[in-house]
Amino acid sequence: MQFLSFLISGLSLGSVYALIALGYTMVYGIAKMLNFAHGDVIMVGAYLIYVVSTMQGLPIWVGFLASVVGCTVLGMVIERLAYKPLRGAQSLAVLITAIGVSYFLQNAALLIFGSSPKSFTSVISKKPLSLFDGALVISWEAILTMIVSIFIMIALTVFINKSKQGKAMRAVSEDRDAAQLMGINVNRTITLTFAIGSALAAVAGILLCSSYPTLTPYTGAMPGIKAFTAAVFGGIGSIPGAMLGGVLIGIIQMLANGYISTQLSDAIVFAVLIIVLLVKPTGLLGKKINEKV
Amino acid sequence: MLKVDNINVYYGNIHAIKDVSFEVHDGEIVALIGANGAGKSTSLKTVSGLLPSRTGSISFLGSPIDRVPAHKRVAMGLSQVPEGRRIFLQMTVLENLQMGAFTSKADTKADLEKVFEQFPRLLERKNQIAGTLSGGEQQMLAMGRALMSRPKLLMLDEPSMGLAPILVEQIFEIIKSLHKAGTTILLVEQNAEMALKIADRAYVLESGRITVSGTGKELAASDRIKKAYLGG
Ligand SMILES: Nc1ncnc2c1ncn2[C@@H]1O[C@H](COP(=O)(O)OP(=O)(O)OP(=O)(O)O)[C@@H](O)[C@H]1O
Ligand SMILES: [Mg+2]
Repeated sequence: MQFLSFLISGLSLGSVYALIALGYTMVYGIAKMLNFAHGDVIMVGAYLIYVVSTMQGLPIWVGFLASVVGCTVLGMVIERLAYKPLRGAQSLAVLITAIGVSYFLQNAALLIFGSSPKSFTSVISKKPLSLFDGALVISWEAILTMIVSIFIMIALTVFINKSKQGKAMRAVSEDRDAAQLMGINVNRTITLTFAIGSALAAVAGILLCSSYPTLTPYTGAMPGIKAFTAAVFGGIGSIPGAMLGGVLIGIIQMLANGYISTQLSDAIVFAVLIIVLLVKPTGLLGKKINEKV
Repeated sequence: MLKVDNINVYYGNIHAIKDVSFEVHDGEIVALIGANGAGKSTSLKTVSGLLPSRTGSISFLGSPIDRVPAHKRVAMGLSQVPEGRRIFLQMTVLENLQMGAFTSKADTKADLEKVFEQFPRLLERKNQIAGTLSGGEQQMLAMGRALMSRPKLLMLDEPSMGLAPILVEQIFEIIKSLHKAGTTILLVEQNAEMALKIADRAYVLESGRITVSGTGKELAASDRIKKAYLGG
């Protein structure tokens, strides 16, 4: 029963990682860059909902909407201002810029909100679900997180595989020049990718803060790194890989947390990542297709 | 239809295209031939907008397109089958064709049928992942994909590369039939003999410069061309 409880909290945390990892992996696949500011978009999203719903007292759905819209716009603005001018530049320059954007967002939040943690009113005020005479207790936050994440992942998969824009994203990710020769606007496709990734980060931020309700300017950093790990674990660039990687990292972390040690759980997560990459350098679902020339 | 006027293209410090001018008239097949590294692919990429020219101008259908980004040139009726096919290997045959119709406002279904009629092999393999097609099938897919945008000018970069002689024949037959159906064609080929046979006019590129031009027949008969490109 204890195992089941760890597993469920792992699944819940993992599905949040998966949502964040999707942003990393899509941006990497399509724009060919690691957006290290992605984690901080989560934090901005969480502050937005804090301001709108906790401080202003507006209904939670208004805060939710503000957060998703705000992050989507923020993602597009970051891409336009910071990354677009570097299109075609060395990847090191882009990486350093991304780290710069990350510090910028953290420090902007520090300036506005200060460093003291803000407590977040939970989205749900219901008592946890108690099963088997209280042997298994599941929070509604965990259940909501899983349901929302699964729904979003299905929707995203359908979008990428079936819609015209989704297919264009796959085309750009595979061959940018060839995509242009099809008449696909590569810049717009990249902007769209940032918009989607940031919207997902906003949702992840809300879910994360309803389970772990303290908010600081650094709230996004650790989940960001974990989700990046998840994306690499699943095979960076691969969408199902990010989903699988996120869920697995969440489960590994929670099992390690419960059975081994809270202090060691992060180290164990990274150890597993290293082992997987040693065995399969492209990650679990990452693939290398042989090109016929 | 297409007028390239005095373009110069660089890769960093490498001056790949030097003062090149050429024209393609409505309804023609024009061939661009030359040795490896002569600048044939670079010329096509500049016309399709993937590379910028430092000088001169390119106009298509009578208006300059120098400021038109590559993806908008497709909608104007300019389509390129790139060297090495460059199909989307991880997508299905059908999805590749749909990408070809990305800008098309026309009836995609009818265009698909037309492509499948032209390349029945693609219909059989509609749902196959493109990366698993044979080289010849990939070339057919690359051509089919380019046709989905209903191009007015189709630019082909070495469509015969790496194909068995019988397939080369077939590809050239297809080019002829596309031409008959009203598509203007700019053909880049190493296979100068085949290219000159079907071309109305041809240009020879040498180290980034156009050195000879004339009708396909003239060039095929010229001693200089025979020596350099036709093996005797
Ligand atoms: N991306 C690049 N970076 C640097 N130089 C390049 C690049 N692409 C081509 N070149 C150079 O530009 C010149 C022209 O190349 P291009 O590809 O246009 O030749 P080509 O005529 O198409 O040759 P081939 O028949 O081998 O395809 C060559 O000297 C080549 O080395
Ligand atoms: Mg070439």
